[in-house]
Amino acid sequence: MRNSLKVARWEIRRNLKSKSFLISLISTPIIFMLLSFGSALFNKDSKEMVTVHVLDEIGVYEQIVQVATKNELNWNVQRTDANETEFPKLVKEQDQSAYIALTQEGLENGTIYVYMSQDTPARFLLETRVLEEPLRQQQLAQLELTDKQMSVIGKGIQMEAVSSGEEAATAGAGPDKADRMKKLIPGAVAGMVLFSIVMTGMMIFTSASQEKKEKVAEIVLSSVTTTELMQGKIIGYFVLGITQVMVWMLFLIPLALWKMDFPLLEYLLVPEMLVLLFIALTGYLLFSAIFVSIGATVEDMSSTSNFQGMIMTIPFIPVVFLGPLLSDPNGLVAKVLSFVPLTAPSVLIFRLSQLEQWPWMEIIIAIAVLIFSIWLAMKAAGKIFKIAILMYGKNATPKEIWKWLWA
Amino acid sequence: MDTVLTVTDLGKSFKNKRVIEDISFEVKKGEIMAVLGPNGAGKSTTIRNIMGIMYPDEGTVQFRGYRPGEVPRPKIGYLPEERGLYKNVKVMDMILYLAELKDYPLKKAKQRALDYLKKLGLEGKGNVSIEELSKGMGQKVQFIGSIIHEPELLILDEPFSGLDPVSQEVFKTEIQELANNGTAILLSSHQMNMVEQVCDRLFMMNRGKRVIYGTLEDVKNQYANFKCTIKGRNDRHILESIPQVQRVESREEATVLYLEQDIQPAAWLRTLPDHLQIQELSIDRISLHEIFIDVATDNHSQLFIGKGEGVHA
Repeated sequence: MRNSLKVARWEIRRNLKSKSFLISLISTPIIFMLLSFGSALFNKDSKEMVTVHVLDEIGVYEQIVQVATKNELNWNVQRTDANETEFPKLVKEQDQSAYIALTQEGLENGTIYVYMSQDTPARFLLETRVLEEPLRQQQLAQLELTDKQMSVIGKGIQMEAVSSGEEAATAGAGPDKADRMKKLIPGAVAGMVLFSIVMTGMMIFTSASQEKKEKVAEIVLSSVTTTELMQGKIIGYFVLGITQVMVWMLFLIPLALWKMDFPLLEYLLVPEMLVLLFIALTGYLLFSAIFVSIGATVEDMSSTSNFQGMIMTIPFIPVVFLGPLLSDPNGLVAKVLSFVPLTAPSVLIFRLSQLEQWPWMEIIIAIAVLIFSIWLAMKAAGKIFKIAILMYGKNATPKEIWKWLWA
Repeated sequence: MDTVLTVTDLGKSFKNKRVIEDISFEVKKGEIMAVLGPNGAGKSTTIRNIMGIMYPDEGTVQFRGYRPGEVPRPKIGYLPEERGLYKNVKVMDMILYLAELKDYPLKKAKQRALDYLKKLGLEGKGNVSIEELSKGMGQKVQFIGSIIHEPELLILDEPFSGLDPVSQEVFKTEIQELANNGTAILLSSHQMNMVEQVCDRLFMMNRGKRVIYGTLEDVKNQYANFKCTIKGRNDRHILESIPQVQRVESREEATVLYLEQDIQPAAWLRTLPDHLQIQELSIDRISLHEIFIDVATDNHSQLFIGKGEGVHA
């Protein structure tokens, strides 16, 4: 184990000194941040304040101010005494402004005219729809209806879905957003950890192949055994993957805390997080065993056969089943994929971040299957790695690899 | 001299093909022992079995003070035939990694690395990336990596290949110095002139089997008979009728008479016919290079007549 750790330290040091790794380490969270918050950064719309001038002939000004505040609209509502005929001229003179003529005539005709300056964001017109309810109330009030009648008519009717099954009983008040986030956030972070360590795990493939190509294997193997070399690579790239996640977190957590209005850290520091991270770790161990052994069979990456190329796509198999997984995280497809070792890690993380109640028996059986598969994969990887790493001059064929497994 | 490594009846097969068979030899402290043989003779397989990179099907490899089969990796230095170093790392980092793998103190390793870089003409290259080095420079770095931890046994597989004559001389001197300081050295090479200059003993193998084993002197005494090279136009029958001539080889301008074992050169010269045309005449021993070629081409049955004391064929 000491020798494995020496190899691991070397792989970590070598990569942390490598420009390409450092660039990807820093650039990935930056790109992620740009993608995640890009719309917010570039879409100035949602930020900028619009000065809304209201010509109030029907006495709803106070209600309008209340509605704008309640809906957190970026409106600076002001009363105006100007005549509606002056609005086109006034609106040209002021940036980010709008004039609304709440006239008796408009109310009776059912059409309220909104005058907007050219730079007023397009979303503003959509936002004015929040005024429809108080204006309709005003319309109805003029018909001399009772308060109850006005309230019923003013509300209108809307359709709301209620899910069936176990949750139905507790769904009286509808799904609680906070509760969903409690599951979703740890799942998303565990998914990110799995993604990151599997991506760095893919670097093991290149590293093992490079060991052969640069013919360093033999000199290293004069100091450590093949098993120690293989273990060292797996540990080293795991640490690099975790380092990558930590760097991402350093960028993303402060940003998320600033931008989002929920207690992120509180959601992350839950016992379920440990289970999800354990599943991510099992995923890494399984895929890294596959990558390190198959990487050792490849000397020339450019002439890698379809077989070796296909191996790299294994972690992405669940993407094929994304449709059924999204539509029913507790359906048959999701359940079956939870027990297939190659899909289990990501499918389990996805399912557990969606389900209100965790199916503990399924989780325990799936993890047991995963652990057994890792043991098998490591054993097979050891056999392949041992022979392949010293075979110079050509890439191994699937037939040869199969033979080595049974040697 | 203490025996550092004992190889006994080593055998290894790949896919039912015997690659090495009944290989036995010893390497002693402070000696340079050559493992020789044509390509495919089984030298690298033998070395890999000694290093524990492969495991023998039969026989044992035993290091002094260790159980058979136990490989004290930190005490062995290895320069493999397949040259290679990580390309995108600095020279010093690479050497220190190899030292770390051997459990050698890094501070001491760094000082030794600086000394050796200077000694081998690479002063100031410690912070240079390996991909910026020439092939010969890379080989020197790898050589330093193999000796950085002061090994008790140093295994050098083709250490001179790819080096220019000046670098070959530097390597030769360094190898001799290491042996003088007590390192047991097992050296595999195809450059027979170098082997003749540096080795104390040799083990020659062909097709996975031992052909010759003994000290260089004994091998030369026993197997390297005298040969007489005559420049001049002579009838082949006359040359073949000269006593104690084993075989005659005609070359462009000269004829080489391979003589029987145990001849006395001065006495034999007196047996030459008076009418023999001689423009030039030289008498010397068959070189190791010629022995090697004869072994590689399976002619050694003609060459090697008997077994000498301390030499095994």
